[in-house]
Amino acid sequence: MLKSIKPKKWVVAAYLAVPVVLYVFTVFAPLVAALFYSFFEWKGGPVKTFSGLANYTQLIHDEVFWSAFWHNIFLVVVCIIGQIGLAFIVVLLINSKVTKLQGIHRTFGFFPSTISAVCIGFIWQMIYDSKRGLLNYFLEKIGREDLQKVWLNEPSLVMLLVSIPLVWQFIGYYMVILLSAVSSISTEVLESAEIDGATGIQRARYIVLPLIKNTLLVCITLCVAGNMKAFDNIYVMTSGGPGYSSMVMAMYGYKVSFEQSNLGYGSCISVGIFVLALAVIGGSQVLMNYFMTDSYDRNEKKHLKQIEKERKQAIKNRQAKA
Amino acid sequence: MAKEMKMTKVEDKSAGTRVKKGVLTVIINLLLWFFSLTCIFPLIWMLYSSLKEKRVFNADIMGLPTEPTLVNYVKILSNKDYRLMQSVANSARTTILSVLLIVLIAFIVGYILARINFMFNKPLYIMFLMGMLIPIHSLMVPIYIIFSKMGLSNHWYTLLLPYVSFALPMSIFLVQGYVKGIPTELEEAAAIDGSTFSKTMFGIILPVCKPILVTVAIINVFSCWNEFSFALILIKERALYTVPLGLKQFTGQFTSDYPKIMAAMLITMAPIVIFYFVFSKQIIKGMVAGAVKG
Amino acid sequence: MKKKLVSILLATAMVATLAGCGGGEPAATETPAAEEPAAEAPAAEEPAAEEPAAEAPEAEAPAADGELAYSGNISIMHFSTSEESEGNGGSDGFRTCLAQWMDSHANITLDEEVLANDDYKTQIATRAAADDLPDVFLLQGMNTINWSKQGLLYDMTDSIKSSPYAADYNMDYLIPFTADGKYYAYPALTGGTCTVVIYDEAMWKEAGFDSFPTTWADVEKAAEYFGGQGIDTIAFGNSGQWQLNSCFVSCLGYQYTGTQWFSDIIAGTGNFEAPEFVAALTETQRLFHDTSIFNKDFNAISNEDAREYYISGDAAAFIGGNWDASYIQASLEGDPKFDTTKFAVLPQAADATKYEKFQNIGLGYGMAISAKVAQDPDKLAACIDLCQYLTGTAFSEYVGANYALAGFCGSDVDLSKFDTYTQDFYNFSYVDNKGCEIYDSYVDGSVWSVLNTEMQEMVNGDKDPATVAADTQAAYKAYLGQ
Repeated sequence: MLKSIKPKKWVVAAYLAVPVVLYVFTVFAPLVAALFYSFFEWKGGPVKTFSGLANYTQLIHDEVFWSAFWHNIFLVVVCIIGQIGLAFIVVLLINSKVTKLQGIHRTFGFFPSTISAVCIGFIWQMIYDSKRGLLNYFLEKIGREDLQKVWLNEPSLVMLLVSIPLVWQFIGYYMVILLSAVSSISTEVLESAEIDGATGIQRARYIVLPLIKNTLLVCITLCVAGNMKAFDNIYVMTSGGPGYSSMVMAMYGYKVSFEQSNLGYGSCISVGIFVLALAVIGGSQVLMNYFMTDSYDRNEKKHLKQIEKERKQAIKNRQAKA
Repeated sequence: MAKEMKMTKVEDKSAGTRVKKGVLTVIINLLLWFFSLTCIFPLIWMLYSSLKEKRVFNADIMGLPTEPTLVNYVKILSNKDYRLMQSVANSARTTILSVLLIVLIAFIVGYILARINFMFNKPLYIMFLMGMLIPIHSLMVPIYIIFSKMGLSNHWYTLLLPYVSFALPMSIFLVQGYVKGIPTELEEAAAIDGSTFSKTMFGIILPVCKPILVTVAIINVFSCWNEFSFALILIKERALYTVPLGLKQFTGQFTSDYPKIMAAMLITMAPIVIFYFVFSKQIIKGMVAGAVKG
Repeated sequence: MKKKLVSILLATAMVATLAGCGGGEPAATETPAAEEPAAEAPAAEEPAAEEPAAEAPEAEAPAADGELAYSGNISIMHFSTSEESEGNGGSDGFRTCLAQWMDSHANITLDEEVLANDDYKTQIATRAAADDLPDVFLLQGMNTINWSKQGLLYDMTDSIKSSPYAADYNMDYLIPFTADGKYYAYPALTGGTCTVVIYDEAMWKEAGFDSFPTTWADVEKAAEYFGGQGIDTIAFGNSGQWQLNSCFVSCLGYQYTGTQWFSDIIAGTGNFEAPEFVAALTETQRLFHDTSIFNKDFNAISNEDAREYYISGDAAAFIGGNWDASYIQASLEGDPKFDTTKFAVLPQAADATKYEKFQNIGLGYGMAISAKVAQDPDKLAACIDLCQYLTGTAFSEYVGANYALAGFCGSDVDLSKFDTYTQDFYNFSYVDNKGCEIYDSYVDGSVWSVLNTEMQEMVNGDKDPATVAADTQAAYKAYLGQ
């Protein structure tokens, strides 16, 4: 935090007032409304009957919801590794000085993020299609027809299959964010490392990674948040099927609200998604703080503490002497 | 330029390492090309598929069209229910205004959260963080009720509210994270020079934040342009339809004219994609320029 | 010769339509529950003299000669997009009649909101929940009971009975829109079958069948032949999860349960765990999972994709609804396949005890009026007039003359003007077979959502039919317990 600038309170308040009001109204009011409705039996009309915690009791025992929750967790894990991990590698490759036509890769790489989820789902449906799809076509060409499948009808594979388009779509998104972060690293830092003979991987690990730590944390948070409420791609590709095999929480909430017109319970599911997402984000923050403060930082901190301690000790000693 | 020259000077001397370097160069470039092509291929595929007739497409979904035809585009554009120009104008207005507001607000809030120590700093930060966790698809009914009760639905400005609000969390985070990485010396120096808070924020920090602001803008341009759910529930009047909403007129309950759907998708994407490719150089430059020494 | 045949057909058709579209109508004769509302209706006339009901006939008097006292706006929401209306007779007729009505009522402005069907469903559910329904809209059969209970719908019983077209109405179509003996909507669009086997006669001849087999055992035999050719015997698409219910089980089930079982379900006294229904599910699972009759990817593709398999010759037959029949017709025109495409009912299952040539037919949507409109009698009269026009003789004549289809109103269809494809399909739908109900026009979405989702697993072999039935019964119980 900056100590030297102390703006007047009303200046800060004035700057924050409009955004906060706007934000609370559009983002939180519906959530609070949903919280309110979640205590009612509400079958999609003006009539609502107070039902206490009945919806929550149902939610806790709802196997479909909990399996959907684990599907979301699966998505989170795959996407952190796939989206951010691959994006980081792509960024390093693009920034490598042996890379030609960096601009083209940046432009093309971001492209999937510019198209709508409906479009993405549609494209990947065509890829997975069993009769005419690219994947089976490719397997046929390499003579592995035995591996051909009706891809989106495989309960054990379908979560992985629906997460691939998500990864593909968002690599460019995180690539762009990371690119702007990496660009803030002074080239001199990298060059000096080069002179010292740091290899690419070492450079990534010990120089780039710590310097973009903040951005990386933001990316992981975004990724967790996005995948805890994933909806569009899955809606287009499988609608949660076959059966409940690719059901995610938001999809289930949508289904309950609109297909079953059970809005009371649907609201309860929305609240459930929010609370669980909050818990997962909280958990991931703790984990990240532990892991991302890597051993170097930790040692550094220890070292600083040690110095501080010694200094205090020295002062004490001096005082004692005096 | 200077950097390149410096690099060549320190380039390794032995022939062995040079060969190794050459192999590495090839591998890196090949990997990147593979990545880029998978990213761009669907666009190409959609482009040429939309030039096929339905039956041709269904017979062979990968092949190039033997007799390219514009029939799908003609069908869509000649449809009298579909007001392309109007929906493009609506989408353009909504997108531009939303993105301007998002960038401005995210910058102010992000900067304040990153730099100013006040009582509500942490609570506000957490509040904005929570906004990212809201599952809008299962909250459509409450959103509709609130908007219609307040008389806010079905106006030209209606969509600005959710577009800006729901984009804020992510944008604020990016800005806040970026500002934290900027050394405070800049502001301290400004303070010594007697610059006011506002002046420092807009005059000194804003230019430094350009890369992240361009990034925020770019990400949101596309999400606003493509957004469908809010548009569906909050807009009734056809004169206010955005492009994705207008194009839904081409999906029947039981139709599956894929090339036509692709043509429709391409028409939706066209303005924004053309914009992106034409300005990509400036955009990318904006994103990576102004590097801050860290 | 041909003329003679046509005139016989014509006569049959006329008799059929005059008799209130008798022929193959939905469960008219054998479903007691089906007759109930119709029988109750006249009796309800006297006591039903509630306020809005009393106003309605009054307001309607001027409506008869096309002059409406109301001038202003009426909001209407529907899903007949221009895309939808291409080749779909019902949508085309709906749009045409809507335009006619607008032209003849210059002082009334229609605020039209047209959405594609899936968006329409989401949007109308949102509006109902917000108690903010448009003045006139399309009501899905399965929402009738719930929405009428919540007071969202205007009671149309009297207006339907006093409608200028009342004599032509096919009252059976009203069953899905009936709650507590009252009618809540004018059945709209066209009545069409939901389950029809569309097959290529020529291909089946090669397999040794002159027409489509009448038993599944024969279909399995044919599957061996077609399998050898690398062709799917029957194409089916269930990625949307509703198809297996609407276009298969809702018809096959009747072979096991007869008509009484579903009447009980409608009446709220039924049981999804009844052995005969479980047997129908078991047979469904066997056909999809244990035999090679259907395309392997039936759960991953939609019915739209599946019919492309038929059109391209990758499948010898296809099971779908009337919308698929008209799509295939439009796609095949000019193709030799067009002349060899024929229709059949679902074959008989070996252990089905109540087999008849069933095909499920009905009108899934009805024109309903928001209960709020009743506050303004003039507006109400205008809305009723609009509903009557859109489902009246103007509509049925249009779709009859252009597509050989029928709606709520019967009409004389001159079949001679149509090609054999249309004639065959007309006879399939309205003349030759026994009509039965489309399950999901009734009861409630919460029940069908469970059944549809779990059946998708069931036909993959991952869920046992008894479990599916039990879970559906639980959802049904929960719905009844409201």
